Amino acid sequence: MLQWRLRAPLLTRAGAAGVTMARAGLKKLVMPPDYSGIVIPEKPKLKFLERAPAVPKVRREPRRLRDIRGPSREATDFTQGQFGILALGGGYLRWGHLEMLRLTIGRAMDPRSTFAIWRVPAPTKPVTRKSLGHRMGGGKGPIDHYVTPVKSGRLVVELGGRCEFQEVAPFLLRAARKLPFPAVPISRAGLERMRREEEERRVGNENPWTFERMVRANMLGMRRYLSPCDLHWHGRYWGKFFLRHRV
Amino acid sequence: MAALSAAPWRRGCPPALQLVRRGSKAVTRHWKAMHFQRQKLMAVTEYVAPRPAVPPRCRPPDTGARVDQEDDGYVRLLQRQVQEAFRDNRMIAVCQYNAMAGDDVVLLRHYLRRHNIEVKFFLNEIVRPVLAQSKYRNLLPLFVARNLLLVSREAKAKEMLRVLKGVPQVNLLGACIDDTILSRQGVENFAKLPSLEVVQGQAVGALSLLPSQTSSLLQCSSAHLTALLDQHIRRLQEGEGGAPVQPSPEPTGAH
Repeated sequence: MLQWRLRAPLLTRAGAAGVTMARAGLKKLVMPPDYSGIVIPEKPKLKFLERAPAVPKVRREPRRLRDIRGPSREATDFTQGQFGILALGGGYLRWGHLEMLRLTIGRAMDPRSTFAIWRVPAPTKPVTRKSLGHRMGGGKGPIDHYVTPVKSGRLVVELGGRCEFQEVAPFLLRAARKLPFPAVPISRAGLERMRREEEERRVGNENPWTFERMVRANMLGMRRYLSPCDLHWHGRYWGKFFLRHRV
Repeated sequence: MAALSAAPWRRGCPPALQLVRRGSKAVTRHWKAMHFQRQKLMAVTEYVAPRPAVPPRCRPPDTGARVDQEDDGYVRLLQRQVQEAFRDNRMIAVCQYNAMAGDDVVLLRHYLRRHNIEVKFFLNEIVRPVLAQSKYRNLLPLFVARNLLLVSREAKAKEMLRVLKGVPQVNLLGACIDDTILSRQGVENFAKLPSLEVVQGQAVGALSLLPSQTSSLLQCSSAHLTALLDQHIRRLQEGEGGAPVQPSPEPTGAH
């Protein structure tokens, strides 16, 4: 007999006698994905990143929180891999976070068929801390640890190889939840869809009053209460946070 | 405050209110409270989704129509098989197929194969588009529920009906014999018709009826005259009485 595959009826349309029957349809033979152009490098796992730079910094640096603020300009697109973790907020990555990522991904991925690469550098920005319990004053504290600044929209790690997003997403989500900023696992198609949806929302907005319009024309004297950065961020970024629902 | 009174024409500059001593920096770990004016601005400039002119509840319901209409090779192969079945066979009968045991199906196929009739299963979703674009589009109403096709190169309707009579689960719906669509009654009438040779013989007989009468027609007048003359002679001889009756010579063959 033919390959009958019983499938529940998508829409129960009552026939002439008011009875519906389960229909069997043609089996859809899906072509397996084509992994011909994929090359697994020699060291597929994430490489070890140092806790501090080789030459420790002598000069203590100012805080410069603007490296967290706003959208990212680097590492916003995929290079070699197909999947990755996308940061949806700004924050600092410490060595502990990087080790967590390295170990979780290294434990969960198959080094024969997948590879992973870092999209963030090793920590180089020194963060100072004063010892606990002391009063204000006495100068800047000594360097406590080093961090990597990450802005919204930046890829943290990239994954690739002979695998599908559904295999990779669970452990990427587990790792992404532990990061200090909101992050999601994402694929190339997912990123494209996200950008397309953002664009559609921006274009199809029925509200004639947009943030951009009101700030550019300085309606109601709004620029008194806004930052000059809001001119090009259009109200989508507030501090280190990324407001995804804003258009 | 000093900043407010200084240079009112420089309103467009970076914030005139430099709240340095009060509040936190621009980037904080916590969610920094927005100025009320900014909150109002954010509330006014929120996203408003586009409303379609016709609300979706007034549209016909979306039946989950297959968007992925990519040309499947397997589908194309099956469609080609359907086209070949319709092209190469003289008789195509569509029957309703109810559930049957596998052995019974095998037996049915065997009995029909003996009369050179093949049993074919095709999925409706493949047959319907093929028929819709061919000359058999009037057969479309038959391909609704589970059905099977009996195809044959010769039109052996009587044997087919005899086999199907013994199988209650398969009911004949209609047939297309020699590019003629017949209903169930039409197939039965077709089966009752005599075979081609008999019909040909009848036609030949009917056509040759008139030529066969030609010779007798031609001989008719002379035979009639001969009979009349014989009768006349006999009467004359009987009238003379007693005279030996001379048998008149038989009329010779064709004149």
